[in-house]
Amino acid sequence: MSLAQKARYNFMKDLGAPALLWLQEAQRKKRSRKPNPYLGPPLKCAGRLREIMTRHYYLSRFTKGAKPVAWVTSGAPVELLRVFDFYTIYPENHGALCGAQKKGPEICSEAEKKGYHPDLCSYARIDLGHAFSGKTPAGRLPRPDLLFCANNICQTVLYWYKELSYYWDIPLIIFDTPYNFQDIRKKDIEYMVRQFEEMIPELERISGRKYSHDRFRKIISIARESASTWGRVLATMKHRPAPMSIFDAFVHLAPIVSLRGLPVALDYYRILLDELEERIAKGIGAVTNERKRLMWDNIAVWFNLRDWSSLFAERGFNFVAATYTNAWAETIHYLDERFPFESMARAYSLVILNNNLSNRLKLMEQMIRDYEIDGLVILSLRSCKPYSVGQYDIRRLLGDRLGIRSVVIESDMTDFRTYSEEQTRTRLEAFFEALEV
Amino acid sequence: MTRKDYLLNQKQKGRHLFGVFPAQYPKELLWAMDIVPAEIWDPPLEITAANAHLQPYICSVVKLGLELVLEGKCDMLDGFLFPHTCDSIQNIASVIRDCLSENKPCYFFYHPKNPHGKAARDYYVLELKNLTLSLEKQLGPLNPDALKQRIQQGHKISGLFGEFYDLRAKGKLDVGNREFYEQLRRGEYLFPDDLIPELEGFLARNKGKEKKGLTPVILSGVLPNPPEILTLLDDLGVSVAHDDLLIGSRRLLVPPSNLKDPFKQLAESYFSMPPCSTKGAPIVERREYLLHLIKATGAKGVIFNVVKFCEPEWFDVPNLTDELKKRGTSTLVLDTELNQGLSGQMKTRVEAFVEMIS
Repeated sequence: MSLAQKARYNFMKDLGAPALLWLQEAQRKKRSRKPNPYLGPPLKCAGRLREIMTRHYYLSRFTKGAKPVAWVTSGAPVELLRVFDFYTIYPENHGALCGAQKKGPEICSEAEKKGYHPDLCSYARIDLGHAFSGKTPAGRLPRPDLLFCANNICQTVLYWYKELSYYWDIPLIIFDTPYNFQDIRKKDIEYMVRQFEEMIPELERISGRKYSHDRFRKIISIARESASTWGRVLATMKHRPAPMSIFDAFVHLAPIVSLRGLPVALDYYRILLDELEERIAKGIGAVTNERKRLMWDNIAVWFNLRDWSSLFAERGFNFVAATYTNAWAETIHYLDERFPFESMARAYSLVILNNNLSNRLKLMEQMIRDYEIDGLVILSLRSCKPYSVGQYDIRRLLGDRLGIRSVVIESDMTDFRTYSEEQTRTRLEAFFEALEV
Repeated sequence: MTRKDYLLNQKQKGRHLFGVFPAQYPKELLWAMDIVPAEIWDPPLEITAANAHLQPYICSVVKLGLELVLEGKCDMLDGFLFPHTCDSIQNIASVIRDCLSENKPCYFFYHPKNPHGKAARDYYVLELKNLTLSLEKQLGPLNPDALKQRIQQGHKISGLFGEFYDLRAKGKLDVGNREFYEQLRRGEYLFPDDLIPELEGFLARNKGKEKKGLTPVILSGVLPNPPEILTLLDDLGVSVAHDDLLIGSRRLLVPPSNLKDPFKQLAESYFSMPPCSTKGAPIVERREYLLHLIKATGAKGVIFNVVKFCEPEWFDVPNLTDELKKRGTSTLVLDTELNQGLSGQMKTRVEAFVEMIS
C-alpha cells in the first residue's frame, strides 16, 4: 500500500465525498417527486442512507493502493475481513442497484454474449457482465484483491465466484457452511471454526495486516448490535399502522448487508429506529389507510419496487414482514465476542436459506402470528433456487395450518425480460379479491 | 432382468433398498450395510405430478426424481439418501422429508465444498461416520470387515471401469456408444457381487481388435440423455472416446487408497477423483482434466450435453469452451431436457458438428 494512494483515499474521504454528496443532494431537491396520497410521509432517514451508500461506492474508486478490496457474498462472515481492514463490495447489493435502475437486462446481456446462459442467476450475470464490460450505474467498482464467498445463501455463489476468480486470476476464499438437513451438529461448528483458522494466514498475506483478536471481538460486538437494532427496526412493523413498509425495509437493508461490523451501520439503524418510534408515537403509517397486512417471501423485485408499493398502498395493503429482510436479524444475535469463531459459525450457518424447509415453515408461521398477517405474497424467483424450490409446498402447508391466503407470482429480481406485467396483475387482482372476502 | 425386477429380487434376498439422488455418495458404506443403492437420475416418466410442486425452471433430474416419489414408484424402498449436490437437490430433499407425507427414513450426506483445506478432509471422514451411525439406528451395527470387503470391491469395480475407458480410448472395445453407456449405467443399481462378474463378462466378450475409422470425441455434462444422441453418434461414425460426465468418469474412476482406516480410505479416494462442478472444483482443474482426456484419446472435439437449468454445469461451460477453442479443439454445447428424445434441430447441430470435425 503506497503513502500517496493512502493520502488520495483520505483526501477523497474527507473532502471529495462530502462535495459529491452536497452536489447530488442539491440536484435531487430540484427533481423532487409529487407525494403519493396513499403513502405516508417518506422516512427522513432516507437522505442519510443515500449519503452513506453513495459515499461507500464513491470511495471504493480510490481504494487502489490504499486499502485491500474484497468482493463478498451477502451471507459471508465479513466481520473477519474487517479485522484486516478490507474495503468490501457486495456484488449482490450492486446487482440490486442495477436492478433498481432498470439496468439488469443490459448488463446481463454482456455476460450472455460470453456464453453465460440466460437461465443463470441474474445477480451473477450482472456481476460477470460488469466484470467483462465495466458497465455499472455506480460509476466504477474497484477490482478486488480477494473474493470471499459463503455458500450459506446458495451454491450458486460458489460457481459464480469461481468464474470471477478464474477471469481475474485472484484468490477465492470459500467459507463452507454445511446445510442443516436436521440440526446443526458439533462437528459442523468445528469444521467451520477450522476453516476460519485456515483462512487467517491467507487473509494476513493478502491484506498485509496482522490478525488482532481484540479488534475482532470489538467488530463482532458492533455487528451483533447492528443486527439486533435492525431486528428492532423490523419489529416496529408489528404496530398498527406500521411506521414503515417492507418496500422501505428492502432499501434500508443496504447497510446491514454491505457495512455490517462497521460503526456507521449501527449509528444509522439507531437513527432509523428513533424515527420509527417517533412515527409510532404520532400514529404515522407507511400506508395512509392500512387495512390489510401482508408478508413477502423472497428477494425484492428491484425494478418494480415503486410501482408495487403504490399498487398495494392504494388498496390499503401494507407489507409488514418479509422472510428476506428478516434474514439479517434472525441469527446474528448468536454472535458473542467471548466465543467469536464458534458464535460466528452458528450465526452464519443457521440462516433461513441454509436451513431445512421445516425450519422455514416454523419461522413463517411465527412471523404470520407476530405481525398479524392477512395475506402472503410468494415471489417465485427463477434466479434463486434455494429460495424458490419448496415454495409451492410451503404455500399449501401454511394455507392448511393457518388458513392464510396467498398468491405466487413469477419474476426475476433484476432481469425484467422474464417478467410478465399482465399475468402478474391478473394474479394479484384475484388475490386482492380473495383478501377482501 | 429389468431394473425393477432386479431390485425386487434383492429385496426378497433380505437386502435393503435405498433410493439415492445424484450424485456422489459412499456406495461402499451402503453395500457394507447390505443396502442396494438404486440411483435416481432419469427415470422414464412423464413429468405431471411434480409440476404441482416445482417451478418450470427446475431441472428435469430433480423433477423426475420427485415424480418417481409422487407416483408411488418408491414404495418398495426402505429409505432415501440425498447427497448435497446442488441447491435444487438440497431443497427437494427437504420437500420430500418435511412437506410430503413420505414416511420413509431420509438420510443426508454433505460434501465439503471447500475441497483444498485439511478441515474439509477431516469433515468428510466425520460425515461418513455420522452417516454410519444414522444408518445403524435403522439397520443395526456395521460390520467393519464387511466395509473393508466392500471397499475392495469398490476398487475392483473402479479398476474394471478404468479398463473399459482405456480400451475405449484406444478403440479396442467392440461396442457402440449406446451399448457402452447402457452397461456403465447398470452400475447405478447392481449390487457389487453381481456387478463385478457382469463387468468382467462384458470385457471378455467385447475386448477386441483396434477399430479404425471412427472419429473420437469427448462427452461432457451430467449424463448421456437423451440416449438417442449416442445412437446418432454411432450412426455418424463417432466414438465417445472418453467422458467428463457426472455419471461417468467424474465418479466412476475412483483412485484406490492404501490407508488402513477404511473411512480415511474412502475420504482419500473421494478427494482424488476427477474434478467436478458439484464439488466446487476450480475451472483450471476441469480445463486441465479435459485437455488431458483430449490428448490421451486424440479427440477431435468435445460435446457438452448439459441438462437445462443445471447451474453447476452451465457456469463452467463458457470458460471451458473458450479455453478449448483457444487450443484448437472444436466444441458443441447442447441444452437438453431429459427423456425428450432428439429434436430435429439437435440432430442437425450434431450432424454439422461431426461433419466439421471429421
